[in-house]
Amino acid sequence: MSLAAIVEQLGSTAWSVLLAVLPLVVLFLLFQVLFLGLPVREVRRVLSGALLASAGLFLFLLGVGIGFLPFGRAIGAAVGALPAPWMMAGVGFLLGFVTTWGEPAVRILADQVDEASAGSIRASLVLVTVCLGVALWVGVAMLRIALGTPLTYLVVPGYLLVLLLLPLSEKAFVGIAADASGVATGPLANTFLLAVGFGTSAALGQDPLVSGLGLVALIALAPLLSVMGLGMLVRWRQRPKESRT
Amino acid sequence: MLALLRRQLPEVLRALAPLLGIAVLLQLTLVQAPARLFVQLLIGALLAGAGMLLLFAGVEMGILPMGRFIGAALPSKRSLRLIVAVGFAMGLATTLAEPDVLVLAHQVELVSDGRFRAAPLALVIASGVGGFAALALLRVVFGFPLRLLFAVAYALLLGLTFLAPTESIALAYDAGSVTTGVLTTPVLLAITLGLSSVIARRSAIEDGFGLLGFGSVGAMLAVLLLGILA
Repeated sequence: MSLAAIVEQLGSTAWSVLLAVLPLVVLFLLFQVLFLGLPVREVRRVLSGALLASAGLFLFLLGVGIGFLPFGRAIGAAVGALPAPWMMAGVGFLLGFVTTWGEPAVRILADQVDEASAGSIRASLVLVTVCLGVALWVGVAMLRIALGTPLTYLVVPGYLLVLLLLPLSEKAFVGIAADASGVATGPLANTFLLAVGFGTSAALGQDPLVSGLGLVALIALAPLLSVMGLGMLVRWRQRPKESRT
Repeated sequence: MLALLRRQLPEVLRALAPLLGIAVLLQLTLVQAPARLFVQLLIGALLAGAGMLLLFAGVEMGILPMGRFIGAALPSKRSLRLIVAVGFAMGLATTLAEPDVLVLAHQVELVSDGRFRAAPLALVIASGVGGFAALALLRVVFGFPLRLLFAVAYALLLGLTFLAPTESIALAYDAGSVTTGVLTTPVLLAITLGLSSVIARRSAIEDGFGLLGFGSVGAMLAVLLLGILA
């Protein structure tokens, strides 16, 4: 990496963190002035926490941009050279799991679910369910890249299945599933996995913009299905208990 | 502060170790990238780990309380307009802040042969997110059934898919990723949870979630509609 590239990376990362934290701080200060009137100590604590989190996000995004993005491309090129589509799907499954496992916002969501349910839905259960869902669908996405399947053939049946699962799933899991779909496409997936997808389709001689697109769509679909599926299992297991009482 | 960081350290190590492990394994077997790229990966992982440590500590110390304070103050004003305004403003501002959204808007501009300009497009997508975020907060207040709302939203999504030109479909389904800011996630979650915990008869676990998901669907629907109109 050249010096100019590093400076450029530093600048754009700092800018995106600033843009992300600014609306939050403005909203908080507005509320503080208009309604909250918290003691200065509390405000200072919240703001220093926001500063700490921003510094953390800056380093995190920088690390992802410097390390994981270029390496993801290299992985993609190697995966595209694999002899069989099922091998690509296998690598996709592995990468999908470990990437989501490392996605910060997924962990934050899982912790919030644990807290809001007073521990009855454990954070680790949510985390593993989301990771398994994404793993499966990144595997499918790699197959799609290898075979050139149109995206609609996957997302339309996928969302039809979501509609089918909606009434069957335990109510609490529906909101969690939808939120998980939002956070699963976090900064790691959006850079690292996308780079793998682009690298693979480039290695296969396809237009990376066409076949790489849609990876994010499938990652967003994945937790909807896996978490609602979990909600269905939970409801199933609870049913005999309900009928007894 | 140091204690807070030390408490987060095991979580950060657990989060990143498998990813790094698989990357090293792939490097040794399949990828065999040039040493420079691999060193870059290691430096990046170190930075990302340190960043995640500060991020989690900061979220616990400041970002989550920020959302909780706002969420608890929202219903006490008994003003629906305020709740709608906060939901809309948060959805709008956080989407516009996401770098992805401009990239997306540029791609829609290309698909529409330049009939739509990127900047107003970004605003339309962000409004889609804002509108659905406001709807999600109203849902908590009035207790609309969550499953029904999502059923309508996803049915609409599927219906519009059949009307939209092929080029815009992939863009639309990718657009869900514009609502995934790492910092906004805890704030929006805490606002919804705060709101649902203050309003009587709402259970946090049943009513505190879904806002991020609604925002994503809002973005997807906005892009599909633009594709159809283009």
